[in-house]
Amino acid sequence: MRYLSLACKNLLRRPVRSLLTISGVALAVAVAVSLGGFNVGYRSAINGSIEKLGYQVMVMAKGCPYEAATMMLKGGTGLLYLPQGIYETVKADPDIQSITPIFVGIAQKEGSGIRDDEGAKSFSILSGIEVPSFRVMKPWIGFKGGSGYDGGRWFDPKATDEVVMGFEVAQYEQRKVGDTFYASVVPNGKTEGVRHTFKVVGVMERTGTQDDGTIFMPLSTAQEIFGRQNALTIIGIKLKTFSAASLREFEGRWLKLPEVQVVSLEQVKGTLVSLVGTAQVMIGAVALIAVVVAVIGVVNTILMSVYERTGEIGIMKALGAYRGDIFRLIWLETLVVCLSGAVVGSGLAFGAARLVEAAIKALINLGVQGSLVAIGPAMIGWALLGSVALGFFAGLYPAWRAASMRPIDAIREGE
Amino acid sequence: MRKEETVTPPIIQARGLKRHYRRGRETVKALDGVDLDIHPGEMVSILGPSGSGKTTLVNLLSCLDVPTEGTLLVAGRPVDGLSEDRLADIRRGTLGFIFQKFHLIPTLTVAENVELPLMFLKRPVDRERTQAVLKQVGLEGRSRHLPKELSGGEMQRVAIARALIAEPKILIADEPTGNLDKSNGDAIFRLFRQLSGEHGLTLIITTHNLTLGYLADRVITLEDGKILREEKGQSAPVELTRER
Repeated sequence: MRYLSLACKNLLRRPVRSLLTISGVALAVAVAVSLGGFNVGYRSAINGSIEKLGYQVMVMAKGCPYEAATMMLKGGTGLLYLPQGIYETVKADPDIQSITPIFVGIAQKEGSGIRDDEGAKSFSILSGIEVPSFRVMKPWIGFKGGSGYDGGRWFDPKATDEVVMGFEVAQYEQRKVGDTFYASVVPNGKTEGVRHTFKVVGVMERTGTQDDGTIFMPLSTAQEIFGRQNALTIIGIKLKTFSAASLREFEGRWLKLPEVQVVSLEQVKGTLVSLVGTAQVMIGAVALIAVVVAVIGVVNTILMSVYERTGEIGIMKALGAYRGDIFRLIWLETLVVCLSGAVVGSGLAFGAARLVEAAIKALINLGVQGSLVAIGPAMIGWALLGSVALGFFAGLYPAWRAASMRPIDAIREGE
Repeated sequence: MRKEETVTPPIIQARGLKRHYRRGRETVKALDGVDLDIHPGEMVSILGPSGSGKTTLVNLLSCLDVPTEGTLLVAGRPVDGLSEDRLADIRRGTLGFIFQKFHLIPTLTVAENVELPLMFLKRPVDRERTQAVLKQVGLEGRSRHLPKELSGGEMQRVAIARALIAEPKILIADEPTGNLDKSNGDAIFRLFRQLSGEHGLTLIITTHNLTLGYLADRVITLEDGKILREEKGQSAPVELTRER
């Protein structure tokens, strides 16, 4: 007979009570692990999304930095524009490795898309780019192949009616290579929309970024149809060496321009993390409460079990058990409860991760692509370690109570 | 008393043993000056009405409690003034216990219950020894049963086997037949007689049952915390009013 085996058998005396207590711990651990998984997954998704933008720094028109931060990841309206001259000026900076100009505009799709139901989006994001520099920034972009998609290519830089569609927007609009796409654009300074007809010359492979939901066209065409010749939305920049110091220097040089703000993607990351920070704190508080309630449940269960076995504990002491032996036994029982709960809870969180992710994505658009809940071995390891620590503290009082019983009193009480 | 006991030093020696405790403003003299020698291999019954001090005396002799006054030597070691763990040191391997309530662990088999003290004594489990002890108490073939599958008499036998597994020198039984019917009570006392006679175990038993009590080698009768009378056992009950 070993202490662990005896501890497990003691817990089996009241299987329903033990199971309920373990369930309480499991629930708390599942919440905590899911939250931790979301925290890690969300940061990793932000990192992935930002890395897939291809650039480290954006130069854009002065405005709300939060909007600027999310615009490139989520899309948005109310865009601000830079004069194109800024691009030529910034391009000369010696610290720049590569640079690409981007124009973003929003086109009305009403009556033009094939979907007219209520769920259909009424806007399309049109992006004007310079293909050579854009490809340097995003070398991973390729064209989708297969029936109806073969022969995909970039548009001619001078074409006024050719577009390349992102993976998702092409699927949503059910467009293939060679199809026609309509968009209504209200040029700058006008109130009436002008309907344009475009030919789809390529559909991109999935990138897992906002590019999947964007329709690309030549920079000059986009500027033309939106009535903003020589205007840019952002300038994407990759620095030769990227560090906090080099970024500070770069910012210092270009923030002097009155109409410009320099946004590093590290800042964007911080902004996006802060967007869900409050929600995370609240969920964290709920998880903490769940853990505290679970610990109280464990203490209560083990204490009840100690009181029920007062006579037995007295006998064990009479038969030669030291205080430390009894402490060890009761403490082990607490650890078994907490560890079992942690194993079940971690398994539950791992198994339900996809459901949690679907629920989060259905409730809020966090502006990032990819998996939002990442539960790995390290996370589960921490959960198990945490449960051992909780068991350690939860078991202290009941174990001390049991160990402190005088055998003679314990036996008398149990008679 | 056996002849050899007169030359062997007592395994338990008590002098002026007192156990007083406070109950509100009152001092209760549960035990009030007991002198007692118990020799190895002796079977001693402690009789007396409720409140006479039987259990208090047994608790002191068991090293489960410490005297308020007086000296007590158990297996040659002084008991008074020791901490709980030092008392446990004396109990471990020297004393075996049987109580009115069996306190078996319901989720452990008979064999596991019997082997439980070995875990605390950090001794290895010897299955043959377990089977031998179970045979000794008449429970061969019951080792895999759970306590709920046993009768009251069988459960008390498991408790006796559990007390014997660590090979104690002294077996102390406090009202061991209190929860048993007459036939089971008789059987348990016969087992005690056998353990004392054949295995040389020292036995100290408290009981309300005069008939069974007088099956011992020596009968000590307590009243108001003092020894009223000591007499040889294995004889018919006599009047308890005779002064010591």
